[in-house]
Amino acid sequence: MKNSKMHLSTETMNLGFVRKVEALSGSSVRRCFQCGKCSAGCPMRTFMEHPPNRIVRLLQLGQWERVLAGRSIWYCASCETCSTRCPNKVDLAAIMDALRKLSWDANGPSKESYVQLANRLFIENIKTYGRQYEMRLAAVFNIKSGQFMKDFLLGPKLLTKGKLKVFHQKNRNIGEIEQIFSRIEEMRKKGEAP
Amino acid sequence: MTKNLLNYSYYPGCSLHASAKEYDESTKGVFKALRIGLKEVPDWFCCGATPAHNVDELLSLSLCAKNLSLADNVEGDLAVACAACFSRLKTTQHRLTENDIKRKQVETAIAGSVSLEKPVKHLLEILAKDYGLDRLADAVKKPLTGLKVATYYGCLLTRPPDVPELDCCEAPTIMENVIAATGAEPVSWSHRLECCGANFTLSRPGVVLNLSNAILASAKRAGADCIMVACPLCHGNLDIRQKEIEEANGTRYGMPVFYMTQLLGLAVGVPTGKLGLESMIVNPLPLLREKQLL
Repeated sequence: MKNSKMHLSTETMNLGFVRKVEALSGSSVRRCFQCGKCSAGCPMRTFMEHPPNRIVRLLQLGQWERVLAGRSIWYCASCETCSTRCPNKVDLAAIMDALRKLSWDANGPSKESYVQLANRLFIENIKTYGRQYEMRLAAVFNIKSGQFMKDFLLGPKLLTKGKLKVFHQKNRNIGEIEQIFSRIEEMRKKGEAP
Repeated sequence: MTKNLLNYSYYPGCSLHASAKEYDESTKGVFKALRIGLKEVPDWFCCGATPAHNVDELLSLSLCAKNLSLADNVEGDLAVACAACFSRLKTTQHRLTENDIKRKQVETAIAGSVSLEKPVKHLLEILAKDYGLDRLADAVKKPLTGLKVATYYGCLLTRPPDVPELDCCEAPTIMENVIAATGAEPVSWSHRLECCGANFTLSRPGVVLNLSNAILASAKRAGADCIMVACPLCHGNLDIRQKEIEEANGTRYGMPVFYMTQLLGLAVGVPTGKLGLESMIVNPLPLLREKQLL
């Protein structure tokens, strides 16, 4: 429409959500002026339905549901190129972390389940073993994602090269890690931590 | 026993005990040859890497803070080999120094005070700055003359700019300087700071086939004989998945991907049997023989 104007205000912005993202990320969302440098340098933009600068724009426009429902936030590689090049000191990589956490906590709909599955298994492995158990991580991922033949030929090759550790010892101080997990959970129950 | 010139505590990270064991082995070989002591932090934990900070910053910071306090029990600055562990540990130091609220939350999580004073250093920094390029050049027994090396930084050795404190975020030279000290020739190339696809290797390998292909192609265009990396994940993507990348893109690279400590080890006279060359998927032996480095 020829004469349509876009009104931006604290109401259209949904300031509550923006503030949540800003508190979690420690970065301003509002400061972005859409120069697009983040998306120009983003190696993952071709895999995203919303490139990085548009994600910030959607947040500014109060359309955060579109961001959380999409797969873009899960296709960020955390390469930090956007945060490095932003002329306005918007830490987009940290904003992406915050958005993923909000989506993760809400257990909301997302188009990207494989990345979330990999993250969950990775974290579970830390809790169970203390250190990463790479072979188990890959095996359980294949089973749970239903891709039984994924990297089928790679396994034996890595095994002969000694790159797959079949047996993995738990840390003897694993109790300390379990306590970290449970203390964080407790803090969250009491509302003392995000 | 000769006295060490420098001493460090050492955080190898999970990969160096499994898929990147040649990085661990060659690091120990090089440091021993240069008389730099490395004492592994006992009972260290996973740093949480990308998956933890992706969805749970508090967990990520707490895991790293726990590791930093474990490292306090061992003397010497903390030497870190993996670029991702290095980045997470440094990030934790920065975030908890700047943010009192997060610091208190982490202190509750680890039930202790956080210690942020111990300098965390990537192996590159130790070699180039603490040990020094001149001393490194003096230690070379077999110059890598004629070997054209594409030095690959990837993401986390230089980004974000205030965290690693290693080198310039857009035009670093530390890797080139280190490898040039051995007599090798670093090539000038376009993709040394681009992302390889990182941990999408598990969840979305298609991403890696795409991004790492661009890196291999760029190195080839620049006339490199090999790529040098300082991160186990970059190595996994460029070396382990190279054949798959070639098949997916209908091309052929045959580009050996060395850990920097493997090349340095060759130069400073670490026995080749202790450099884990046999663990590499793209066989480096024909290249090394051609350049008369074996």
